[in-house]
This record gives sequence, structure tokens and C-alpha cells, in this order.
Amino acid sequence: MDLFPLWLSLQVSFVATVFTLAVGVPVAWALGRRTFAGRDLLAALVVTPLVLPPTVLGYYLLVLVGRRGPVGRVLDSVGIELAFTWKGAVLAACVGSIPLLIRAAQAGFETVDRRLEAAARTLGRSEWSVFWSVTLPLAWRSVLAGAVLAFCRAFGDFGITLMVAGSIPGRTQTLPLAIYDHVQANRMPEANMLALVAAGLVIALLLGIGRLVRLRY
Amino acid sequence: MRVRLVILAVVVVLGGALVGSPAAAAPGSAPPILTIFAASDLAFAFRDLIPRFESAAGVKVTLVLGSTGNLAKQIEHGAPADVFFAANQTFVDDLVAKGAVIAETRALYAQGRIVLATARTAGSKLTALTQLRDPRIRRVAIANPAHAPYGRAAEEALRSAGIWDAVRPKLVYGENIRQALQFMESGAAEAGILALSIADAPAVEWVPIDPARHERLDQAVAVVRRSPRPELGVAFIQFVNGPEGRVIMKRYGFLLPGEF
Repeated sequence: MDLFPLWLSLQVSFVATVFTLAVGVPVAWALGRRTFAGRDLLAALVVTPLVLPPTVLGYYLLVLVGRRGPVGRVLDSVGIELAFTWKGAVLAACVGSIPLLIRAAQAGFETVDRRLEAAARTLGRSEWSVFWSVTLPLAWRSVLAGAVLAFCRAFGDFGITLMVAGSIPGRTQTLPLAIYDHVQANRMPEANMLALVAAGLVIALLLGIGRLVRLRY
Repeated sequence: MRVRLVILAVVVVLGGALVGSPAAAAPGSAPPILTIFAASDLAFAFRDLIPRFESAAGVKVTLVLGSTGNLAKQIEHGAPADVFFAANQTFVDDLVAKGAVIAETRALYAQGRIVLATARTAGSKLTALTQLRDPRIRRVAIANPAHAPYGRAAEEALRSAGIWDAVRPKLVYGENIRQALQFMESGAAEAGILALSIADAPAVEWVPIDPARHERLDQAVAVVRRSPRPELGVAFIQFVNGPEGRVIMKRYGFLLPGEF
């Protein structure tokens, strides 16, 4: 049985989760800690990927990063190709999962006692240092919970990935796409097996993380 | 401290995933790979045909099946296909006009037929389109007429039989014709209008639909302009249209160039 889709999906969702953290945590912090013009608009914008149908989202991403798209052309000139590569699947997974991370992390940052941060500042800590030594350590469970949700969403993405990365066996066919393909071809044993292996693996992974950090879902 | 440890752990795992990644593995000295985007009515015929081409040409073929409309859209946006087999020539002509496929390589390779299919679990075989109105037929599977040529042909046939409005509430749309068959195989639909080329499945029985009831399903193929190995794509098209390919295509119910 071909397990390539499983490895690809794991790889894509790991990489996507890291990018999602890198982009999402600062946004969540800004939303939870700062007041600025357009804050509410930004808060609404970050959840649009949850609202739009995935295939619609995927199509617009494809238009954007495809070879004819504005972003695609720029990336192409520096030799990066996103559409129909595994990196495109990462992009798809990031877009689909970032709202979950931002929402969870934002809630975490909002519950951190501002007086503790203020105390750190009176002790001469820079904003950067306050974030790393006070805010994040107090909010990290929410951030991690968001990251876990984001990982799961990334792992399961179907529609966005189908449009942006295609469903090319051995290259961009992630696990959900492979299962869909098996079902279409009426290869039910293969579909069931992949679904079972995937579910088992992800549950084991989540339990492992939970044990590691004593986090309850 | 703990936060940094977790971050470190993530980076290590990520690094491992990247290094040991299947996607990072270079093709190396393996045989060249030919990526074929094909309308899903070719699913069964190409399953027979491709292994023969692989051993004849020393190539490895990756087959991506889907609805003609979606595949065409993806090729337009730069999908790494080498050859595109459409279920209807208009999609290929459209891509020729957009410069996405090589005009000189465009060729007809088959003419498709549609059939009225009945799931074996649904009782006696339907023999005429008008029987789709029968109450025992609760769901009728067709491909999506909006972007799948076989779905469009199914709609035309239903309209020409004068039962489009009566059958419409029963219709379920597959994203492509293979999914329409799957709806019948899973028992979700009692009847369907399928491509003849995929209708020989154990779960269904069928009767042909008069081709005069729909626009001709002239199916065309072309090599994608971006293909780094257009000569391989041309070789595959010649194989399909050659003596060995024609025998197989005929077996799956296609009319062949020169016959229509």
C-alpha cells in the first residue's frame, strides 16, 4: 500500500503549522494586546478563511500564485513555484488553519495579567523581552492548543489543497485527496485503510503532545 | 525556558520532516515521468493502456483524473501536466487560444458515447430515458453539466427526451463522470447517465443512449506548452491513436478517429 500521501500530509501540516505560528502569533498578540485603527476589521478578516468555501478560497489562491497571477509571476522570477507543488499544499494548509491559531492565541494573550507585563517593564525589560519572558510563558497553553488545532485542520484540508496543489499522485496528492481518489475509483479497502492509519497516527500524535506538556483538550 | 524547549523540539521535528521528506526526494536517474491529465471517462481504458506505453517507451506515467473543466483550469494556471486529454474538444481549443497547449499537437482521439445505467440493486434494468420518471428511481447520477462534458451530454439527452424538468429534482451531480458511477456503486443513486467507457462496472447494467440526443462528444488531446518533454507527450498521443492504443480504446466503447 502506498503511504506517500500520509508522509506528504504529515510533512505539509508540520511545515504549515510552523509558518502559521510565525505569522499567527504576532497577529494574535496585536489583536489581543494592542488597539489600532482597523483592529476589528483585521479580527474579522482573519476568520474569513473559515467562512469562504475551501474550493473558492483555493481558486482565488490559485489565481494569485499561479503562473499568470501577480504573486506567482514575482515568485517565478526568483525561481519559486508554489502552485501544484507541495509548497502550494503548505500555503493552502496555512490559509485554512491560521484562523484557528489566531483565535486561540488571541484569547490566551487577552487573559494575561497586564500588571505582570507592566511590572516587567518597570524592571527595564524591552517590549520584545516582556513578550518572551512574561506574555508568552503565561499564554503558551492557548498558543499550543491553537497550534494543535491548526495542525489538525492543515492535515485534513481538502478543498484548498485540491485547487492550489492539484491531486498529482506521488507529488501533491495529500492524504485527504488520496482517500477521495480511492473512493471515486471504488477502492474502498484502500480508502478505509488510509483513513484508519491517518486517524490512528494523528490521535497518537495528539496524545503524545498532551502527555508531553500535560495539556488537556 | 519550557517555551523555548517546545520551539526547539518543533524545529527539530520539522527539520527531520524536511530532510526525510518524500517530496524532497529528487527523481534522480529513474525513468522520465510523464504526467497526464485526463478526463475521468478514460479511467478504465487508460488503466489498460498506460502500462503498455510505459514498458514500450521506458517511461513512468503519472495519471491525474478529473473533470475536463477543472483540469483545463488547472493547466491554464500552470499545472505541471505534459499532456491533456479532454472529454470535449472545446476545452482543448480554448487552451490553444490561450496559448497553454501546443496547437500543432492537438488531435482528436475518440468520440464518446453515453449510456443509461441502472444499479443492479435497484431492480430491473431501465431501457428508456423516460423510465427515469419511475418512482422507484429516487436518485439519478450524472456528471456536473456545468463543467463536465459527459454531464452536459446527459442534460442534453434528458432535455431532448422531454423529461429534464421531471427528472431534475432527482439529479445528483458528480464532480466528474467517475464520481457519478461511484454514486451508483455505493447505492446512493439507483440510476445514472454514464460514459460508455466506464459503464462496464460490476454494480451497474446499461443500455446505450441514441447519440442523436446530444452534441457529439468529440474528445481532443494536446501537449501542454510548459511540458519540458513535449516529444514524450507526442509519443503517448501517437500510441493512443496507434494500432495498439486503438484496440484498447475500441474495447472501452469509444468511436475512433476515422470512424466518425
